[in-house]
Amino acid sequence: MSQVLHPIEQKILRSLLEKQTVTPEELAEKTQLSIDQIRRGIEWLKFKGLVQVAESEKSFVNLGARGKEALEKGLPERQLVGYLRSIPVSSCEMSQAKDYMKNEFSPAIANAKKNKWIEIYENRILLRGYHDATPEEKIIKTIASKSPNAMAADEIDDKEALDSLKKRPGFLDFTSTKYTTVNITEKGTVEAHNASEVADDSVKRAIDVEAPAPVVFAAKSHPLADVIGEVREIFVSLGFTELVGNSSQSSFWNFDALFIPQDHPAREMQDTFYIKDMSAKSVATPKQIKQVLLEHKNGWHYDWQLDTARKMVLRTHTTCITIRELADKKYDEARLFSIGRVYRNEKVSYKHLVEFNQVEGVVVGKRVTLRDLMGLQMEFYRKMGIKKAKFWPTFFPYTEPSLQSMIYNERLGKWVELFGMGIFRPEVTKPLGIKDPVLAWGGGIERIAMLRYNLDDVRELYNNKFSWLRSVPKCQ
Amino acid sequence: MPVVTLYFNRIGKLLGRKVSREKITSTLPFLGLDIEEETSDHINVEYSPNRPDFSTDYGVATGLQGILEIKLGIPSLKIKKGKHAIRADSSVGKIRPYIVAIEATNGKMDDETIRQIITMQEDLHNGIGRRRKKVSIGMHDLDKIKFPLVYKTVERTHKFVPLNSQDAMTASEILEKTETGLAYRHLLEANKVPVIVDLAGNTISFPPIINSKLTEVTSKSKNLLVEVTANDRSAAEDALAVVAYALQNAGFTLSSVRILGPRNSAPQLQSRKMLLDSALVNDILGLDLTLPAMVKSLKKNRLDAKIKGRQIQCLIPRYRTDIFGPIDLVEEVALGYGIENLDYTIPEAKSAGQKNKTTIALEAVRDTMVGLGYLEVMNFGLVGKQTQYDMTKRDPSGMISVADSKSQEHQILRDMILPGLVDTLSRNIHELYPQKIFETGIVFHRENPINEEVHLACTSAHNDVSYTEIKSVLQSLLKSGFDISCTTKNSQSPLFIEGRTADILVDGKKIGMIGELSPQVLDNFKMRVPAAGFEIRLTGLIF
Repeated sequence: MSQVLHPIEQKILRSLLEKQTVTPEELAEKTQLSIDQIRRGIEWLKFKGLVQVAESEKSFVNLGARGKEALEKGLPERQLVGYLRSIPVSSCEMSQAKDYMKNEFSPAIANAKKNKWIEIYENRILLRGYHDATPEEKIIKTIASKSPNAMAADEIDDKEALDSLKKRPGFLDFTSTKYTTVNITEKGTVEAHNASEVADDSVKRAIDVEAPAPVVFAAKSHPLADVIGEVREIFVSLGFTELVGNSSQSSFWNFDALFIPQDHPAREMQDTFYIKDMSAKSVATPKQIKQVLLEHKNGWHYDWQLDTARKMVLRTHTTCITIRELADKKYDEARLFSIGRVYRNEKVSYKHLVEFNQVEGVVVGKRVTLRDLMGLQMEFYRKMGIKKAKFWPTFFPYTEPSLQSMIYNERLGKWVELFGMGIFRPEVTKPLGIKDPVLAWGGGIERIAMLRYNLDDVRELYNNKFSWLRSVPKCQ
Repeated sequence: MPVVTLYFNRIGKLLGRKVSREKITSTLPFLGLDIEEETSDHINVEYSPNRPDFSTDYGVATGLQGILEIKLGIPSLKIKKGKHAIRADSSVGKIRPYIVAIEATNGKMDDETIRQIITMQEDLHNGIGRRRKKVSIGMHDLDKIKFPLVYKTVERTHKFVPLNSQDAMTASEILEKTETGLAYRHLLEANKVPVIVDLAGNTISFPPIINSKLTEVTSKSKNLLVEVTANDRSAAEDALAVVAYALQNAGFTLSSVRILGPRNSAPQLQSRKMLLDSALVNDILGLDLTLPAMVKSLKKNRLDAKIKGRQIQCLIPRYRTDIFGPIDLVEEVALGYGIENLDYTIPEAKSAGQKNKTTIALEAVRDTMVGLGYLEVMNFGLVGKQTQYDMTKRDPSGMISVADSKSQEHQILRDMILPGLVDTLSRNIHELYPQKIFETGIVFHRENPINEEVHLACTSAHNDVSYTEIKSVLQSLLKSGFDISCTTKNSQSPLFIEGRTADILVDGKKIGMIGELSPQVLDNFKMRVPAAGFEIRLTGLIF
């Protein structure tokens, strides 16, 4: 039974019936198909055994430097003959001819003798016979006629003369090009005849339903944005309300309000991005400023400076957003979260970015406890599909007690740090008029995305490589 | 974070009881120590700078002894009354006013002990010492010193042989030619500089820069003098306390050094008392611990604790500078009780959660763009000047920069998303076309002091791209997403081709720009395929 052939395949086969060995480029010209369609069609036909594809090499010839010279002045033997003709007795001493021909003397003598144009007698050269154009000279002219293009070597019929000229250095340049040729097979010839017989357009043509289809890419959201969205949904499902806030903040809310002393190493320029020559005009209410000032004086024993607190920074965490909300609104009870970019002045590496997304959650309540904080973590991890998690103590300047959560990375086979957490210190809450305990936790979302997409280099999330964005499955 | 090296054979001896290696490594995280590297004979452990006592293996061993219940309660500090004195001259008052010191005698120093003490000193300089600004520590071979010592200021021409040198150098030369001099000379602004000189006239220290060669501590040193100079008296005592405990643990006998002179007096290294309310512990931890259970937990963290009614009186060693108030003691109880022993509870939510309205509107924009066939990309807001302004030929006069960035590519805050998208296209020229991408995100403008807005930008790149195609996308996004109609008005921008660019207006107000990207801009990004795009401000438009 004959196979179902795609129209592209049919066109190629029909064209091959006319000329059996052709290049894809020639096929494209004949069939009016694009070169990509031809290449695809050839692949399909090759797979079906209807054509054979061969890689061949073709030799091309062009005039070399001496060849071009010979075109103008004639070959050395022709020049010698011309010289002999120009002198009175049409003969001369060998030495005389040598002076005239210089370097070309030996080949001139040898070839002129071969052509029977001269005889050597007692060290004199004597002119003889007819001096018709030689086969070598004809080849030079033929090649020159195609100039500046090279000529296919197999188009020159006089192979003997070509070889003889090839042996004389500098006259010809040979180059070779690899190319593909397509040959129709016997089976292909049969199919081509069959295919050309089917020509009834009124019937919906059967197609090769098994043939591969071209690839199209679905437009989609960014994988990291998907993880951010998922984290947000989980927070909302746990009863949290979302806050948004600015990336640029005064040092007051990023550091001072969190009881981080003004000479703390984390506030140095080598860790935090300060915005050049920029200070906030107003940072907080006079009462808030006064209370924070007193807390720093009592706790850290130094001269707290308002000007230092005014300096604008790119927020190093989203805690500046939550603490300000809590200070301004004085909730008795609340569950709040925020997700946003945070910035650290670090060297970029496979582990660190200068800008990344952080999620942060807080719970305010009269009776909230450290065990509640741990329970909320476990609930969040369970919803994220993280099965194994545990807690270790750690230190943060603005929480006490402080913990970090460790989750088990199945792929790496080890525990990795995920979130930092704790209960806001009284030195943070009291000056801002927050009376009840505040559970707080947060961490980088990129870390979760790396787990999700099996990445070892965090930079890949921001490389925007279309090959990855287009191919990474939406649902992990 | 600073790192302390623990050799298993040393830790074994210091603990005073045989403890398996596995037990040690699995217990360390519960002291708040992160294991960074493990080898056959030692581990490197990161500790938090608020626990300077963990800067030596002696301090870590003291902590481990408690948590493993080998030794409970506060470690004692025995300081004999010494016979030597240091006098602080009034001239140091304006430069570096405080000095405290201690003697440590009859000790033995092997190479590892010296290494532990030197790294402790460096960590203290960086932590409590705030890179030597607040506090710096000098350790000397006591036997080379003729007491009493004088702490005073001298001219910068003052000469002595500093550590790591064979020849005498002036203070100026030290500040200009030595490594530590260059690193810390900014701490000495006045004309005169502080030194400590002994009775024989020998300079033993040039704080906070360098010690003298004369009093260098080697493995042969048996008796030491530790001096701490500072701008803050209590910070000096903090540092001295940490060093004193470490040297005592290393086998030295400690003796006091009398301090004389204005504003100076003998260092206070005794333990502090603090009351802890048992209700606070149970409220914060969500437990119902008895008072004796709390006492035991505190003792496991090397504090002393006694029940006093409903309260516990705690005794805190001087080196625990991290304990500010009762809440810190609550954490001590939690650690002693064991974090791993705390059961989780999940508090019930009183109300439903809610996304921010900005988020909801932004999700609608992103969904619509995806529906229009656009792939979402994500770039940074902190970007390089080159792509943001130079290559896009835009005016950088309103540029907002950050100070001292470590990376060329993160120097300024973007005021527009489009340059980043062109950059993204240029990094993907080998990928299949058409390439249609979009990004939403924050951009920054100078305005009292900074105005942050959310923008959307998109580009389409392929051989047949046109202004009309991208305008269709813009219209469709606004209409089908938000029922907003917009108009476009002929305009100019270095980003776009003249005659093929427009301002985007909604209700007569400009919300963005649209156009075919200028061939020169594309060429700057080495792009060979034409592209068109737009950028609009979403803040104030849909939220």
